[in-house]
Amino acid sequence: MDISILGGPILGIIPLGDIVLYFTPFNLFMFAAALAFTALIAISSTESQVEAEFGTLKNREVKVDKAEFKLRRFLAIVCGLATAGAMVTGDLFDFTLFVTLIGIVNIGIVAAVKEIDVLDAAFQYGLIAMIGTLPLFGGAALVLAATGTISLLQIVQIPYTTSLMAFGSILFFLGVAGETGVAPFFATKAEMFRTPGSPFLLIIHLSSLLVIVRTIEILLIINKPF
Amino acid sequence: MNLMANILLNVIISFLVGSVLLGLQRKVMARIQMRPGPPIIQHLLHTFKFFLKESAFPKTAAMPFYIAITAMLCVIWVAAVIVGPVTEGSLLLFFAIYAIHKIVEHNAGSSSGSPYGKLSCVRAVFSAAAEVPLFAVLIIIYLKTGTMILSNIVTYQNQHGALLLSIPLAALMFFVLILSKSPYSPFAITKGKDIVSGYETEHFGLLRGYLMFSESIAWYMLLWIFLTVFIGGLNPVGYLIGMVVITAFVAFINALTPILNPNHSVMTQVTLAFIGIVGSVILLLY
Repeated sequence: MDISILGGPILGIIPLGDIVLYFTPFNLFMFAAALAFTALIAISSTESQVEAEFGTLKNREVKVDKAEFKLRRFLAIVCGLATAGAMVTGDLFDFTLFVTLIGIVNIGIVAAVKEIDVLDAAFQYGLIAMIGTLPLFGGAALVLAATGTISLLQIVQIPYTTSLMAFGSILFFLGVAGETGVAPFFATKAEMFRTPGSPFLLIIHLSSLLVIVRTIEILLIINKPF
Repeated sequence: MNLMANILLNVIISFLVGSVLLGLQRKVMARIQMRPGPPIIQHLLHTFKFFLKESAFPKTAAMPFYIAITAMLCVIWVAAVIVGPVTEGSLLLFFAIYAIHKIVEHNAGSSSGSPYGKLSCVRAVFSAAAEVPLFAVLIIIYLKTGTMILSNIVTYQNQHGALLLSIPLAALMFFVLILSKSPYSPFAITKGKDIVSGYETEHFGLLRGYLMFSESIAWYMLLWIFLTVFIGGLNPVGYLIGMVVITAFVAFINALTPILNPNHSVMTQVTLAFIGIVGSVILLLY
């Protein structure tokens, strides 16, 4: 199979020892988008959320305090960089590490908020992300066991898909879904997004969706229907 | 043609055609509802008007994030034009662009500090859970054609006939996605009138101009992708006729259906996605 039928032609590769980064227009766009949003988050302030006061006609402003702002901004930048890395890595194990890091810092971004509902949602997301770690690494390990490599550029050359590769892919997808908290786990994420701190919430959503899009590419590399 | 000139020409065409199509949609809806409706060029005039009006920024907004996010929306839809009509690149890349559109839609709402924007933001997160499964249509197309590259998909259809006939449920899924992005649609929960204008509520002047410019290109691109992927090999007149027909059909649906509440909207879309995926896989196997 030719990898260019998925994301376009390979524009370049960066070999870092065993880990090879590769750039197709698809990977490059998502890498650039992740870095651009990360840079924007690094220089942005947070909004003051206007909420109606219960029992009166007044509004109140909910702000992010300075200590919380600094912590969440740091975690958001780490998340953005991990997302950018996950977009261009050509190594399956490297990708799983990036996804795990994204899961950890996403929990941190919301766990820093001192609101009970948000902390409850973060706790539930944390449980899902921790549970997701097992199928994530287990899936990658099964793909390694089935193919003898974790290099996507090597796996794409294998002309067949064994049942173990397919099973590993399913586990891998379940792990990514758990780590990023996408559907069917999205209900808890919506609760997390009720808190102020728009730039930090962006990176949670950005990392989830970009990782899912990249995962589709990886699954199509491992599983060849033709 | 020079690449830059080609990009510029296609961006201008997509903006103008997209604006007029959105105006046509309002006109058709109005006539169905026994109203005269605005002129067809109203969306285009509004966009130009907002570019010329004074901009105001809420004091509660997250700066410069609040301003940059609207410019980012323009950039990603211009990128979509480059991926689509200009280079006929990867459908997977178009999916990535759509995913970033969802993120921008979400954060344009929350960055202003407005409660209406915030509700739109939360609804955008919900709706992503429904719209992303609809985009699973890409995998069905890949399974059918063996490629994600638009030019190759068109070539495949020239040899084997339109995909609309061989994977109709996948086409239906993509149509539901188009419907969900149209103004006043039953699935347009992020811009429901119960939350004023949703994520656009606190964007004035130039920023609203950017949003409307992007909306026009987004509408054109979604229709372009649908026609290219499921019919393929059309000439410019064919594209125009196809876009007008789909827009009028969408307007007909929107004029006759109320907006659903967020939970019903998401569950309806997810159900249609499930039917589409399972049905298409069965059609592919037999």
